[in-house]
Amino acid sequence: MTTHAHDTKPATHGGSGMSRMNIGALGMSIFIGSEIMLFASFFTAYFIARSNAVQWPPVFEGSTAFEVPKVITGVNTAILVFSSFTVWWAEKRLAAGDRKGLIRGLTVTMMLGATFLIIQINEYVHLGFTPQDKIFGTVFYCLTGLHGAHVFVGLNALGFSLNRAKRGEFSHGNCGPLTAASIYWHFVDVVWVFLYVVVYLV
Amino acid sequence: MATHAPMPGQQIPHGSGGGHTHHTDYRSIRHWWIRAAWCSAGGVLFGLLLPFFLRWVFGLDPLWNEQVYVTTTSIFSVIGFLIGIGCFDWWGRWMVGKHVDYEDHSFHGASSWRDYLRVNTDHKVIGVQYLVIVFSFMVISGLLAELVRTELARPGSQITSGEGYNTLFSGHAALMIFLVIIPSFAGLANYILPIMIGAKDMAFPKLNALSVWMLPPAGLMILMGIILGGYSSGWTAYTPLATQAGTGTTLFEVGVQFAGASSIMTAVNFLVTIITMRAPGMTVWRMPLLVWANATTSALVVFGTPFIAGSQFMTLFDRVMGTHFFDWTAGGDVVSYQHIFWFYSHPAVYIMMLPGFGIISEVLATFSRKPIFGYRAVAFSTVAIAVLGFGVWAHHMFVSGMSPWLRIPMMVTTVIIAIPTGVKVFSWVATLWRGKIHLNTPMLWALGFLFTFVIGGLSGVFLGTLPADIFVSDTYYIVAHIHYVLFGGSVFTVFAGVYYWFPKMTGRMYNEKLGKWHFWLTFVGFNATFLPMHWLGLQGMPRRVADYDPRFANLNLIISLASILMVAGTAVFFYNAITSWRSGPKAPWNPWRGRTLEWLVSSPPSIFNFDATPQVVGGPYQYGVAGARHAIVFAPEEIGGGELTETTHPTILVVAKDTVTGKSLLDATRELGTHGLWRFTFVSPADTDAEKQALVRRHALAAAVLDKAGIQASGKVVTGDIVQAIARAAQDEHAHEIMVATYPLGESQWLRQDLVDRIRKATGLPVSHVTVSHKEARATLDAPGLAHVMVLAHDAVGGGALLDEIRRRADRSPARFTLVHPADLPSPAWGDESNALRGDAVERVHQAIEELQQSGVAIQGEVVDGGIVAAARETVGAYRPDEILVVTTAGQDLNALRDVARGAIIDEVVLGAGATS
Repeated sequence: MTTHAHDTKPATHGGSGMSRMNIGALGMSIFIGSEIMLFASFFTAYFIARSNAVQWPPVFEGSTAFEVPKVITGVNTAILVFSSFTVWWAEKRLAAGDRKGLIRGLTVTMMLGATFLIIQINEYVHLGFTPQDKIFGTVFYCLTGLHGAHVFVGLNALGFSLNRAKRGEFSHGNCGPLTAASIYWHFVDVVWVFLYVVVYLV
Repeated sequence: MATHAPMPGQQIPHGSGGGHTHHTDYRSIRHWWIRAAWCSAGGVLFGLLLPFFLRWVFGLDPLWNEQVYVTTTSIFSVIGFLIGIGCFDWWGRWMVGKHVDYEDHSFHGASSWRDYLRVNTDHKVIGVQYLVIVFSFMVISGLLAELVRTELARPGSQITSGEGYNTLFSGHAALMIFLVIIPSFAGLANYILPIMIGAKDMAFPKLNALSVWMLPPAGLMILMGIILGGYSSGWTAYTPLATQAGTGTTLFEVGVQFAGASSIMTAVNFLVTIITMRAPGMTVWRMPLLVWANATTSALVVFGTPFIAGSQFMTLFDRVMGTHFFDWTAGGDVVSYQHIFWFYSHPAVYIMMLPGFGIISEVLATFSRKPIFGYRAVAFSTVAIAVLGFGVWAHHMFVSGMSPWLRIPMMVTTVIIAIPTGVKVFSWVATLWRGKIHLNTPMLWALGFLFTFVIGGLSGVFLGTLPADIFVSDTYYIVAHIHYVLFGGSVFTVFAGVYYWFPKMTGRMYNEKLGKWHFWLTFVGFNATFLPMHWLGLQGMPRRVADYDPRFANLNLIISLASILMVAGTAVFFYNAITSWRSGPKAPWNPWRGRTLEWLVSSPPSIFNFDATPQVVGGPYQYGVAGARHAIVFAPEEIGGGELTETTHPTILVVAKDTVTGKSLLDATRELGTHGLWRFTFVSPADTDAEKQALVRRHALAAAVLDKAGIQASGKVVTGDIVQAIARAAQDEHAHEIMVATYPLGESQWLRQDLVDRIRKATGLPVSHVTVSHKEARATLDAPGLAHVMVLAHDAVGGGALLDEIRRRADRSPARFTLVHPADLPSPAWGDESNALRGDAVERVHQAIEELQQSGVAIQGEVVDGGIVAAARETVGAYRPDEILVVTTAGQDLNALRDVARGAIIDEVVLGAGATS
């Protein structure tokens, strides 16, 4: 019964040998499945409200309908989409062994993200309606607010990664938290493009 | 069999596996709990100040809005608690840029009960923490259910108002679903799943700890909602009831968010663990079905749970912020709540059922000693249920006023789900078919589950059909159905799992008798409670109402009384669990002879489960398949690195007399012994000394045969009343099982005396029965490796001295014999005289063999024409003996024999005169 013990025993331990980076990225990808469904639940409420409405956007006061700034938000969308490319570039630099490039890329990304948030808050201030104003106000603020909260969380994740990167952490193939943060950031951008098209444009 | 199991008390250094450093955290639990109390208080303060500040800055009037403050304080107090207890310590250090050790295991593992009361990253500790939390809440919500039954025992008002009654059943349901059933599977899987796939822990141990520590505050939140009142909307919290109800509903909504977050984190953890951390050789088609079930369930949780989070966020916003999600007057849609809620909560019933299916597959295969029938079909049906589960949610809303066109498609998809579920049920029944069924407690729960779940499943199909559903909507029929699937389904599987893995988790055996009491009390109580509800429902008794029509009074009283049986059963369970955990008999590694990896490590497993990575070599359920193995577990290098197996082998008592050396019996023992970690004791009753001697010889032979296959066996001859003697022997040997070998029915004295059943009754152990034919019992024992002695006897045949000589040789070491009798016949060999002489010789040999077999010697014989040397030349070629024993009265020249012996050892015995008498 002891015969085949030694020859089948693997030399190293640790299962199928997935590195830390892959585990982090995989976990984040699965979690994003969850996040997509969270947005989907709010979009469900949005679409049900929209399909129930006689006209969309509905009437706000008197005869004027709710209005949202398409152009400024369009520019803002471009800023956020651009930040996806900068974080991608930052990771590229890390892969090339250029730590300074990584730090620059992350810094620019965070600045772009923060700009997006500030413009969005500025928009809230000047919109003229509140979450309490009929179903349009409710779904508009909840969808954009939910997204804004995700941008905030993404900024934090990038910030922590930047902090660690400045301390000389991360290298190509060993940058799980950074990969996870950047995947999250891409997700936040993609959701925004969808949200912009559905809520602002169509 | 290599036995490198660590001795008790022997320390295995854990650095062996792969550079783990293991210093246990020195701070006492008081440190953590005081910190948690301060941080919770800080959270409460922050939760009060934050909205106050914001409302003041934005000039909101009034500054005080109870719901806002309840929401923020409850959220921040939980976050404060989690920070205080230490869930975020490591991440906190990482975030602020401090040094962190990726191989830091200071919060890993438990050496005393105190380690269970603090943040711990060991999946085994977390599993136990889960189960303790779960069973605590089970007691609370069980008591709530008893209060509900007290109120319903008689018509009219008993103990509470209508509002209070609504709070009772809402709390019962919410706690049972979110704090008992869903996390109980997470707890069991947390303990077992990483070991099952050969991993040292989960993929994200710190996230795992955070998941479990979120549960108690989430439960307390819901509990406070019950105590403070106002949570009266049912666990479904339908709007507009939920948007208008009191403070308790806010607390419920916050609590559910934390429970949901905990679920999602655990699910992500399970998925990553299953995808990346399987041991070498663990392909997806070698994964135990529990792993399949949990992978599928985790996917359901990841994609489904955000929808309940969304629905509760929306309700909360409507309550707290004045939004209009479910407010028709402002363009909202009240039915949209139900769509969003049920889009999660229907898959949630599979979240509460699929892991249970996995447990049942494990238990049924192990306790019927058969491979699971249709392994791949069961695995695929799990996935099919999960996928279909997302397309049936609106069958909860047939009477809600939703779009009518949705009804028929939802009815069709609902009924279709019965197909994969049916595949499972038939697979399980087919697994039982002709299995060797052992009715231990886990198996009882599994069989009870089959019984009740089929009833609940069928009433589910009934409810899925539109006309029937409209007829019984919101009646007790629904209550009966949900309890048949969630209690008779899920909870039964949880108990099956808890009993099945109790020895693994605690290292102690539970009390089998109390386990059976628990099962029967619950099973009878359960059916007596919930079966009559079908009739109540069909007659129109509405659910969720504290009062009812007096014509339902009798059945309701019966139900209320029957429910007390379940309380008694649960009390027995807790008594059994606690006393067995403290002082039960020590559990062996593999008490059920299971095949999956968790049974190949010690009970409880060492701190990192495996000291060297195990190697998976086959499917998990190959019970009864000769030579099949699932996995090999290795010892650490320090103690040899060989295959790791258990040192103490449980005993199987083999009761047999003349049949001890029968081929069927030896084959049966050999097969068991090769696959399980068993040893055997042959027990044979004897009346006379001669019989006794014969049996000792047979035992020695059987033991020698098994020894060649690496199996330990010994023999024991008993006297007196057979049944009593065997019961005594079973006790002395700590026997685990009994195997009785008899001649076939009709020829067997023992079967005529009903011995098999009498032994079963007298010992209370599982008894199996092996039939050995007369022919087999006498056939030559042809076992590889057993010494073969050829006895050449010329003139000595026919005397007692020869027989004694052969017996002496048999006693020296186990061997089988061939008696060769050279008959020097006059020419011609076909003459009458020769024939007569040959006839006499055959008769003599026959008699000798008969007598020797009587005394337990395995022997056959032959008469050969010619002298001793000629006979030897002829027979040695045919038999290839290991030894030749020459027995003569006159002595024999051995040199001639040596030329023909082909290397066999030659021995000579010269009998004294008169030996042939």
